[in-house]
Amino acid sequence: MDFSLTAEQQLLRDSLADWLADRYDLARSREAAASEAGWQPEVWRAFADDLGILGATLPEEVGGSGGGPVEAMVIAEQLGRALVVEPYVDTVVLGGGVLRRLPGAGDVLKGVVAGSVRIAPGLLEPTSGHTAHSVATTARRDGGDWVLTGAKAVVPGVPQATHLLLTARTSGEQRDLDGISIFLLPVELPGLQVHRYRTIDDRHAADLVLDDVQVPADALLGEEGRGWTALAPALDEALAALTAEAVGCMRTVLADTVAYSKERRQFGQPIGSFQALQHRMVDMHLEVEQSVAAMYLATLRLGAEPAERARATSAAKVTVSRAARFVGQNAVQLHGGMGMTQELAIGHYFKRLTAIEYELGPADHHRSRYASLTPKPRSAERGED
Amino acid sequence: MDLEWSAADLAFRDEVRAFLDERLTPDLRRAGRLMTSVYADHEASMRWQAILHERGWAAPAWPVEYGGCDWTVTQHYLFSRESILAGAPPLSPMGISMVAHVLIEFGTPEQKEFFLPRILTGEVFFCQGYSEPEAGSDLAALSMTAEADGDDLVCTGSKIWTTHAGEANWMFCLVRTSRAAKKQQGITFLLIDMSSPGIEVRPLVMTSGEQIQNQEFFDHVRVPKANVVGEIDDGWTVAKYLLEFERGGSAAAPKLQIMADEVARAAAGQPGPDGRPLLESPAFAAKLADARIRIDVLEVLEFRVLSAAAGGRNPGTASSMLKILGTELSQTLTELLLEAAGPRGRAYQPHATRPGGPLAGFAPPADGYVSGEEWQAVAPLRYFNDRAGTIYAGSNEIQRNILAKAALGL
Repeated sequence: MDFSLTAEQQLLRDSLADWLADRYDLARSREAAASEAGWQPEVWRAFADDLGILGATLPEEVGGSGGGPVEAMVIAEQLGRALVVEPYVDTVVLGGGVLRRLPGAGDVLKGVVAGSVRIAPGLLEPTSGHTAHSVATTARRDGGDWVLTGAKAVVPGVPQATHLLLTARTSGEQRDLDGISIFLLPVELPGLQVHRYRTIDDRHAADLVLDDVQVPADALLGEEGRGWTALAPALDEALAALTAEAVGCMRTVLADTVAYSKERRQFGQPIGSFQALQHRMVDMHLEVEQSVAAMYLATLRLGAEPAERARATSAAKVTVSRAARFVGQNAVQLHGGMGMTQELAIGHYFKRLTAIEYELGPADHHRSRYASLTPKPRSAERGED
Repeated sequence: MDLEWSAADLAFRDEVRAFLDERLTPDLRRAGRLMTSVYADHEASMRWQAILHERGWAAPAWPVEYGGCDWTVTQHYLFSRESILAGAPPLSPMGISMVAHVLIEFGTPEQKEFFLPRILTGEVFFCQGYSEPEAGSDLAALSMTAEADGDDLVCTGSKIWTTHAGEANWMFCLVRTSRAAKKQQGITFLLIDMSSPGIEVRPLVMTSGEQIQNQEFFDHVRVPKANVVGEIDDGWTVAKYLLEFERGGSAAAPKLQIMADEVARAAAGQPGPDGRPLLESPAFAAKLADARIRIDVLEVLEFRVLSAAAGGRNPGTASSMLKILGTELSQTLTELLLEAAGPRGRAYQPHATRPGGPLAGFAPPADGYVSGEEWQAVAPLRYFNDRAGTIYAGSNEIQRNILAKAALGL
């Protein structure tokens, strides 16, 4: 039972926090988000070259530092704190997490560590909802090639990405866990239609239409039809990291709200002196503290057997989805009209927290997954009978 | 960073488990399982205390010289956790977990020598006299007076919300010995022999029909000054010290896990709206899953507090946070159990439970008939009694005031 960071992990946290405080400007990141590029490439370069965070959780064989879930947690929390729009969790934790479990992806992973390769994971579809194993897009063999047909929805990080990581069904029914195959493709591909848009939290995504797109045999990574074995653990890792990002966001939002309530005066006194608002902020604090505990729970159970791992990450996502809504909405409420604007940081954080609420599945989705993984009660009474 | 127990901790846990397997009789487990409040049946609880005392485990948190155990913080937590998971009836906290710590810190050698061994054996059984009719959350507004007269203090006034006043032979209480500018001054921490002339105990009938709480009236009750703990007029210092023990550091999550398992078992055997078991009703399953998730998270919060304490760090405002989360979650689970009880949840049948106190004006049916199962009789009483959780030991509103100041600097 130990909740302390190692000296190296503390150094990672502090150097990243310092860098972001000095160099990551909220206004500039919003400008970049509104631009065609959608991000600041120099930030990503610094992540790779100066800070080394892109390879922090990837194996040493591909140039990474061989860290694990705790390193991902530390990084994601700091990125959340500074509201970084560059898609670390999607491309490194999720994309990298899938690739490092599959043979033949070594060179691509080296590129991820170096910052030259950025992966956009295309898992969800128009008819999948939030269920990643609901895959209707198909891949069929055509001589030595594969032909992909179908559609992907809200694929994150597309304008920055160099590669697409797509799921396609090679056998079975739409929701079967077996029969899902993973393809790694360049973003420029004949026959691939890309419809880009901004997301509500100033990030970028795209819908993809695959109309008989022909790809070479080596685009298939790993064993045909066995993609879920790599995807499932990587998705749980992404859930844990997203939880940490949410914690970072919420820590900033709570601190800003408390500070604002001490400055803003009405009826001749700071609004933070009113008990109704104090108790609201305490409830926000309780939500944040529970989210921190959920973050540890998810992160430290990633190495457990699959059902326990999934239960822990679902528990964490339910907790942060609930907290993100409560903390975000009440931060806006306590900031009054200013909370509704994009003039203060709070509005931008609220947008990100709203997106996080639903990203990788909302609370109900994970409550239901948690319930399905909870062992049924034994019919006998405890021990004594 | 990890969530695992060490090998030494696991060995200790196994030792505790082996003891519980051997000594916790079916009847004692049953007394624990059919509890309707946080208080076990008095007789069962005292019987379990005697068994623990025999092993030297009745008051593990005390210093070793007084009969405590030389355990690490983690071992204390594991002992508490395993006892709860095994269904042991909890011991009354007022003596062992509360006033004893005050005596150890502030008591005279005579007080320690008299009370501590007798608390361990159960010969001395304490109740707590803090609240008064006009001093609840605003405890320092208390007004029961104690006037000096020779070697005695003469006490007049009333105390209320006193758990087990009927069973107790001693009370520790706060009395007013002087009126000062600041209401926290002039309070004295006093031990009163409940057999003293001039004390009247009036049981209060709770919504569950049980007489767990009481009001006492003190009419010129003479108490030797030798029964003052700490200094006269400095009782607030003593009371604040004791509050630290009342509010926390314990293991709420294991108890909540048991309650959630009870709800699941109950709901598995009851029909839901579509005829399938209630446990498979999506609406009910979602509520139970939500409660279980909150328990999982609370457990990690408790582990963090434990880990901080084991590392010698002050857990800070954690006790207020754990009190709020634990009690509110417990209330949610009592709601779910009552919902699972179905129509039979409306039947009032305390004779099928092990209430925490005598029942007022209730005669069980001559043939002992119980509508449904025992847990269905427990469910409504537990629901009523558990409303106390957010009120006692500093109401949850008071805890939020504390957190606003201490955690948020408001």
